[in-house]
Amino acid sequence: MADLPFVALSAITLAAIYGLLAIGISIIWSSLGMINMAHGFTFALSGYGAWLAAQYLSDAGPMVLAGGIVAGALSGVLICAVSFLPLHDKPNFVVRSMIATLAISLIGSQCLLWAFGPRVKALPKVFGEGTVEFGEVVFTADKVGAIATSAVVLLLTLFWMTRSRRGLEIRAMMQNPEGAALVGIGVRKTALWVMAVTGGLAGLAAVLLSQTFFVSPGSGLQPLVKGLIVALCGGLGSIRGALIAALLIGITEAATATYLGGQYVLMTQFGLIIAVLLARPRGIGGLLDETRE
Amino acid sequence: MTAPILEVRGLSAGYGPLRVLHDLDLTVEAGERVGIVGLNGHGKSTLFRAIAGLTDWQSGSVCIRGAEVGGSRSQGPGRHTHRIVRKGLALMPQGDAIFPGLTVREHLDAGAYTSLAWRERARRRDRILEIFPPLARLMDTPVGRLSGGERRMVSLGRGLMAESALLLVDEPSLGLAPKISKAVVEALMKIDLQDGAMLIAEQNLTLLEGRVTRLLGMHAGRLKGGGSVVLPGRHVGGGA
Repeated sequence: MADLPFVALSAITLAAIYGLLAIGISIIWSSLGMINMAHGFTFALSGYGAWLAAQYLSDAGPMVLAGGIVAGALSGVLICAVSFLPLHDKPNFVVRSMIATLAISLIGSQCLLWAFGPRVKALPKVFGEGTVEFGEVVFTADKVGAIATSAVVLLLTLFWMTRSRRGLEIRAMMQNPEGAALVGIGVRKTALWVMAVTGGLAGLAAVLLSQTFFVSPGSGLQPLVKGLIVALCGGLGSIRGALIAALLIGITEAATATYLGGQYVLMTQFGLIIAVLLARPRGIGGLLDETRE
Repeated sequence: MTAPILEVRGLSAGYGPLRVLHDLDLTVEAGERVGIVGLNGHGKSTLFRAIAGLTDWQSGSVCIRGAEVGGSRSQGPGRHTHRIVRKGLALMPQGDAIFPGLTVREHLDAGAYTSLAWRERARRRDRILEIFPPLARLMDTPVGRLSGGERRMVSLGRGLMAESALLLVDEPSLGLAPKISKAVVEALMKIDLQDGAMLIAEQNLTLLEGRVTRLLGMHAGRLKGGGSVVLPGRHVGGGA
């Protein structure tokens, strides 16, 4: 068990990145009632946004991060304009929007393939090449940076959600859409905010994960699956549940990859989600019964 | 003469193939407290929901302080509700439409949607607490944990935060113990309407009798008595 610190650090890094994605999926589901199948497309597009920023503006860390976050927010707004605004008051919205976002995801990844070609792109090292030492253990800067950045951004987002007026509107809409309309909250305007913020979180996740993996047109699929697993496991609509689930899934992935081998990761993860959902059908947070039926 | 607070002309509304309201007319003037009584399923709530744009479909004119918010609509329930609310409507619906995870304070803040109300929200919260004193010690409790009566107070208090011109209160006594429902109705009667008006739907006639400007009967989607049944001795001008 000599590599325990390494496993723990990998687990927390993955948890931070999956948490960013899962919270987005969770908030979108509970506030807009939409399963966003295009969240992975947002992820992939943000990778290219960061790459473009690094190529044409500056390859300084903050610029690359900003490029990814802005591209993610724009992608969120686009998804909202195409699959939420025209559909949200039509019958069968849940199924329709799922098909619409799936279509955006498929068309979008083909467009990325057409625009940028099949060759993968590497992002510059946002946090430099250095290492951080804790006693005898040496941590690489990209992991420590990923954890610190996502922790700060998540805290800022949660603070904004609980303290600002816009955050209050979003939380009201998550809990009771009709009650929200009755206190004068415009669903369409709030939806744009939700999609922009969650898109920005996905964009940040994309830049952070691309420190280890490459940017490619299809790079959104795996994170979408992981994000959905974490969001379901945590209980759709529960932010706290999503964070706990992200940690569980991160530990499972890091431990499986180190001790069993990378090919078993999806197996153990799905095993975990099945176990959690058998024990707690509404996920860890289990708020769903009080929010959307 | 200024426009009435609420003027409804030829309103029909329903859900899917079901037509609940039939060509309904209703006028409410400033300063009036109007009770609508009728049995379950005769359209009291649907009337309120149609005014707020929450029914599946509707047709006919609904004017709030002279501004048209009705019209014909075959889909999109709730699509325009926030705009209608911003014209000066506060609907306190059956079932309270609360946000279970938000605290009482957050509910009241959420109700303060105009920029004036938002700036004054601390003062207005205090005013709500004067109307519903039991809420004072519950300000930081999530509303999902409150009792039925407390939830009703939160829902009513939230509706009062914006000081809207037209207050629609749907079944304030529903599901509450007689003593509590009496206290809630009592509090509603004490609210200063200023230039506004209040419509209360209620099954329990005795709770409203003698306390409202006029009482209307609702039967099978129509208002009885040509739109107004004036109680003797309580007639304060106006009337439809």
